[in-house]
Amino acid sequence: MRKDRTFNVWCLVSALLLIMASATLALGADIKIGVAGPFTGDLASYGDNIKSGVTLKLEEINNAGGINGQKIELVWGDDLCAPKDGGLVGSKFAADKEIVAVVGHVCSSATLAAMPIYVRNGVPCISPTSTNPTIGDVGKGWFFRNCYTDDFQGKYLATYVVADLLGKKRVAIFYENNDYAIGLKDSFIEGAKEAGLEVVGAEAYVAKTTDFTPQLTKLLNKEPEAIFLCGYHPEGALIASQARKLGFTGPFFGADGIDNVDYINIAGKYAENTYLTVPFLAASAGPEGQDFARRFKEIAGRDVDWMSANAYDCLGILAHVIAKTGPDRTKIREGLAAMNSEEKGYEGVTGLTYFDEKGDCFKPAFIKKVENGEFVPAE
Amino acid sequence: MFLQQFINGLTIGGIYAMIAVGYTMVYGVIQLINFAHGEIYMLGAFFAVSFIAFLHLPFFVAFLFSMACCAVCGVLLDVIAYRPLRNSPRLAALITAIGMSIFLQNLAMIIWGSRPKPFPQGSLPEYFEKTAVSFFGVHLSWFHLFIFGVTICMMVGLNLIIQKTRWGKAMRAVAQNKTMASLAGINVNRVISYTFALAGAMGGAAGIMVSAYYNSLYPTMGYLAGVKAFAAAVLGGIGSVPGAMLGGVVLGIAEALGAGYLSSLYRDGISYGVMIIVIVLIPAGLFGKVLKETKKSM
Repeated sequence: MRKDRTFNVWCLVSALLLIMASATLALGADIKIGVAGPFTGDLASYGDNIKSGVTLKLEEINNAGGINGQKIELVWGDDLCAPKDGGLVGSKFAADKEIVAVVGHVCSSATLAAMPIYVRNGVPCISPTSTNPTIGDVGKGWFFRNCYTDDFQGKYLATYVVADLLGKKRVAIFYENNDYAIGLKDSFIEGAKEAGLEVVGAEAYVAKTTDFTPQLTKLLNKEPEAIFLCGYHPEGALIASQARKLGFTGPFFGADGIDNVDYINIAGKYAENTYLTVPFLAASAGPEGQDFARRFKEIAGRDVDWMSANAYDCLGILAHVIAKTGPDRTKIREGLAAMNSEEKGYEGVTGLTYFDEKGDCFKPAFIKKVENGEFVPAE
Repeated sequence: MFLQQFINGLTIGGIYAMIAVGYTMVYGVIQLINFAHGEIYMLGAFFAVSFIAFLHLPFFVAFLFSMACCAVCGVLLDVIAYRPLRNSPRLAALITAIGMSIFLQNLAMIIWGSRPKPFPQGSLPEYFEKTAVSFFGVHLSWFHLFIFGVTICMMVGLNLIIQKTRWGKAMRAVAQNKTMASLAGINVNRVISYTFALAGAMGGAAGIMVSAYYNSLYPTMGYLAGVKAFAAAVLGGIGSVPGAMLGGVVLGIAEALGAGYLSSLYRDGISYGVMIIVIVLIPAGLFGKVLKETKKSM
């Protein structure tokens, strides 16, 4: 019996020593931040944009010595822009106690799937690109975003883009069957009612559809003057090219999901005369934004897009908050929630960001269009 | 509008038919559903794009070369994955087929990246865009005529090969009874490889036409097309080549009319629903044979 007791005491002592040792190690460790988005798959270009923006900010922060001496380490989670994988990434991030906050997700449907997990485990999440209006309700105080919501975007499209800029009355809608597009379509239809537009038809499609000719034939029969590409750019490009081949000559318009250079690559010359709303446009941005666009072009080798700009600012906002509150999940959430007025907002390359009680922020929208195979500002 | 939807359906249906005959021929000779066939369809598109982009071959030459490469891929698929399991339980070969499908998809992702790609600019002949014929409000471009033409030629050609040539006779013999065929002096393995080559070539051709027409290709494109074509083959009676052709066309038209008149959201559901109804009413498919249970006397 005496031998057992000695053995037990030694175990206890060595365990205590190990715990103290790992605690000291943790003190000097990096601050881990999760980044979630589609890094492979059809929408991998969105993930690339986020990666570029976040990595640019990461290097700036780490080269300047990090946050209060601690460097930031990014943990990547590939959610394929799908709810199932969004949930998997959410679980992975929530379970890793060293991850103190998440930048993401990119697609609204993935964010909606991950948010309940973050709420249950108390992980603050700030999204650069998820625009679905209901995420704020699901987020229960743990969700923040620095892009506008589709409530705003849909109505903006109806009133400013279609009614004012394009001057068209009859609209046909093509929307993808996911949270982002359905939310956007609903808010567009509300805005259309207010603006006096007529929605002649709305056709839904599932992701990865390549052939839209039956639906287009049906919609074109109703003679719309403009077609709303309410979804992501791979399908948007195919709808545009097939509509033109079927003889449609009016303009196309879409939202942030269409804003990607692959839209022009895939649709080719059929992409002409497409208008889109975007949260950030380098040409219309303030001096900080223009400077960022220049630096981005030098480092990443391509023109800046709104996702990179927003992701850059997201990491900036997180760093700004962590510098004050330290790397603790609950304190970070409180710090973000405290940014609730203009004075307490964060001035970044995309403008001033501050959050309301649902974590949403107000940002202006810009309009661009495709002309001669390139995106140009439209006003 | 009905006529336009019908034409849409014929176009999609012709493509499904070309892929479906691949499934049905392979099933006919070795009683295996080659789940990796959709990936040969996808590889056809990628080969063509690579030939055009890197070797700067003109479209039609790239088309033929790519078909040849797909034929080779089909044979390789058989030799590497299926032939070693010729005498194993059928489940083993089935699982291998699914495994090859996943393997080829990911191989394509590694080689060409997972983003959707457009067909190289300017590689398609100019006149493809122009309208060739117009009637009753329906416009058919030269590309449409090209697709119809290729589909019809290939199906007629395939029928000729199966019915009129010695190889075709050998294929039919192997499909009927492998053991007897080998006793009659037919090199069964070689006939099976030949079948895979034909199936591969047709699948590849379908892949090139689809990706050129829609100007979009991506590594997972084979999955959806493969599933629908398999449904078409079953609809027409698995093992019967005319059945697969008819099944493909029927499925395409049902899909187009369903999406056009009923609901575009349930378009896939409608095509599978049609298949289910036909199978419930005619279990062996439209042209399938009902086999009686035979006692094995070995």
